[in-house]
Amino acid sequence: MKKLLVVLCASILVLPLCLFAAENAPTVTQASAVTKTTEASQVPAAPKEFVVYVDKSARVNHYIPSGWMGDYGDLKLNDQYMLTPHSGTTCMQFTYSAKKSQGQGWAGIYWQNPANNWGSKKGGFDLTGMTKLTFWARGAKGGEIIQKFLLGGIKGTYPDSASVELGPIELTDSWKQYTINLAGQDLSYINGGFCWVTTADLNAGGCEFFLDDIKFEADPTMKPEGKKQQGMPFYVFADKGSINNHFIPSGWMGDYGDMKYDGASNEDPYLGDSCIKIVYNGQATQGARWAGIYWQNPANNWGSVDAGYDLSKTTKVTFWARGAKGGERIEEIKVGGIMGEYSDSDTATIGPVILNKEWTQYTIDLKGKDLSYIIGGFCWATNIDVNPEGATFYLDEIKYE
Amino acid sequence: MRLSTNKKLVKKSEFKLQASGFRPLLLAACGLLLVAFLLGMANTSKAKVHIHIQKFKNGHYSLMVNRKPYIVKGVCYNPIPIGQYHQYDWWSDPNKPWIEDGKLMKAMGVNTIRLYQAHDNPDEVRQVIRDLYERYGIRTILGDWLGFWEYPCPLYGDKDFMDRIKKQVLEMVSLYKDEPGILLWILGNENNYSCLGHINPWSTEEIDKEPNPQIQKFMRAKIYYSYVNDIAKEIHKIDSNHPVALGNGELIGLDTASQFCPDIDLVACIIYRGKTFGNLFKSLKATFDKPILLSEFGADCYDAYLNKEDQNMQAFFLESQWRQIYENLAKNKEGAGNCLGGVIFEWTDEWWKHNENDPESWKVHDAESNWSNGSYYFDIQAQGNKNMNEEWFGIVALSEELENGINKRTPRKSYYVIREFWKKPILKKNNNKKENNKKK
Repeated sequence: MKKLLVVLCASILVLPLCLFAAENAPTVTQASAVTKTTEASQVPAAPKEFVVYVDKSARVNHYIPSGWMGDYGDLKLNDQYMLTPHSGTTCMQFTYSAKKSQGQGWAGIYWQNPANNWGSKKGGFDLTGMTKLTFWARGAKGGEIIQKFLLGGIKGTYPDSASVELGPIELTDSWKQYTINLAGQDLSYINGGFCWVTTADLNAGGCEFFLDDIKFEADPTMKPEGKKQQGMPFYVFADKGSINNHFIPSGWMGDYGDMKYDGASNEDPYLGDSCIKIVYNGQATQGARWAGIYWQNPANNWGSVDAGYDLSKTTKVTFWARGAKGGERIEEIKVGGIMGEYSDSDTATIGPVILNKEWTQYTIDLKGKDLSYIIGGFCWATNIDVNPEGATFYLDEIKYE
Repeated sequence: MRLSTNKKLVKKSEFKLQASGFRPLLLAACGLLLVAFLLGMANTSKAKVHIHIQKFKNGHYSLMVNRKPYIVKGVCYNPIPIGQYHQYDWWSDPNKPWIEDGKLMKAMGVNTIRLYQAHDNPDEVRQVIRDLYERYGIRTILGDWLGFWEYPCPLYGDKDFMDRIKKQVLEMVSLYKDEPGILLWILGNENNYSCLGHINPWSTEEIDKEPNPQIQKFMRAKIYYSYVNDIAKEIHKIDSNHPVALGNGELIGLDTASQFCPDIDLVACIIYRGKTFGNLFKSLKATFDKPILLSEFGADCYDAYLNKEDQNMQAFFLESQWRQIYENLAKNKEGAGNCLGGVIFEWTDEWWKHNENDPESWKVHDAESNWSNGSYYFDIQAQGNKNMNEEWFGIVALSEELENGINKRTPRKSYYVIREFWKKPILKKNNNKKENNKKK
């Protein structure tokens, strides 16, 4: 009885201290407080997992899904969806309408700590020791495409120490586990604990999907991933919403107000059910007298984000193009060539090209080039002088081979 | 014993006799020897220098000066004082700015200057070359614009124009080829861009008839590079002691040059790629297997985003660039082995550059940016992404205060950083993200 009393007293004293520590020390060590621990007298074992979400309001959850991005008006979140969770009692249900409420064409959600922290506050966790992030996902119908899942990557005064992503992923209608390899990554400060992003192009008509059991894990069998050499063919554009598409046509240059981009044109595509239609009106809206678009990874990356693809296996880029009337002149078409903190490893150019009215295939020879790091996957540029009345043209089947 | 002694005496007397008969001849021979010796002395101060490029078995290249490897550690030199502009004749400046500059250069480790074009007065040009070489051991790269900045635009398809420019270049070579301080010749600068029509466009009737713009571009490049090749061959006929470089903007057009300009000895490229030259060296090897001199590269020291001078930024880029130059010198197994060195743009700031048409602005160190280059990423968020400050490329700052009759020179941080790098080149650095930050 005496022993029981001592244990009870100790518990009353120790438990609040543990809880206090768990709430106030944002380091991975707090995870040990919620993981099965050894006896109090022993040194606690290194934490084996760090949970983002397992169930609605679970005490082990970390981070808040507060960073709604892009067309945030297109998003709905139910974080206590109770029908067929992967485990426990709830999972998270996301609905993306793809109505482009904010005119962005994409949307996504960041899990942050504290809520809405875009790097202005010091709230990141030290996740050193974790080697992978795992989560379970399923689509309502199957075929929903998430452009990428990622963690880290929040900038600001207190930037994340790493940024790792996975995708695009085409979901199935049954639960499936996905893993992001974190071995070798610097996880000493992670504010953006989890994130997903997708686009209207990839999900015309929107999509509904579910996530569950999101957690960091310390798995000693994980090995650091080298930069993965991409297999060929590697598409820049195959078809609208194709999971095979890479790079985003986000780098609008020069007179960006002179251009209209339609990545889902059905006006006589060369292959499949869509092609790219570009209208350049030559009005010199910004006074530059020229315009062009870079396809980048990720969107708007002018070399500030370390996210180049390793396309070393390629020997050429091919694409099909046609002009609405024929005679439209594109001054330059190129791959690579983005220079910044992280620069493309090489560049190759063709042009000027005078387009035919019929689909014509063009090739950029890449033999002897170093395509081991490419952020700028494709680019075209033209100007008023050679297109005084503007130019409407079409592109299709842009791919590295 | 005696007999033999006598014999000796006889022989000695015979010799005396013979000697007295050849005395005038002997004196003449001695005189000739003396003249030859004196001439030889005179020639040592103007000793013939042989400079050539050596290709090694492993495909690497090295610039050899009198059979010794020479790494070009150069600066572009155009000492325009505050308040003047590019047409100012600094060659005849009685204060001789190159004397003060040469002293500072030598202290830094600079062994070469690049002059884009010789002045009209050969005596003044010789004086500059000699002063720098004889006082400081600094050699001179002499170039010619090949009429690129003439108005109307250069006409590389016009025989009269081509003949005139060729004559001008060959005259330059004849005038200065025997100067011991000359290192090599550079033909053109970024003239290849005119073949694309980007700048100073030119054409011929035949080119105009060609409907395909890509073929037009090729035709222009073929004409231009063939012309440079022709000049290079002519130079080699009159000067076998100095290499001839093809000046080129980036690597653009060098695939065509490889077909039509095989007689140049090296390419001299103008490269502004920020922290890294990327695949430059290997790419050149794949398209045109000639050695390369980075004949113009560098970084400005003005942060256009924060609107203030940032010497750390400039030093960061320059050190990184020099590291890559050294990595690609001959005998470095991990590099391409085709780099001969580099020439930093530039020695001192030039305050006239922002607006050459406004003499008032030449007195102001203008901080308004002229152009954009994302490779220099620290200030790329400046308005309109214009982050390159043309008047702030000097590794030595000018001030309005005069010292020895010229604007006072103040070396910037990059001067010291590169000086230390040249003393002890450290090539391998951890390539982690922290390296992308300027060292304070």
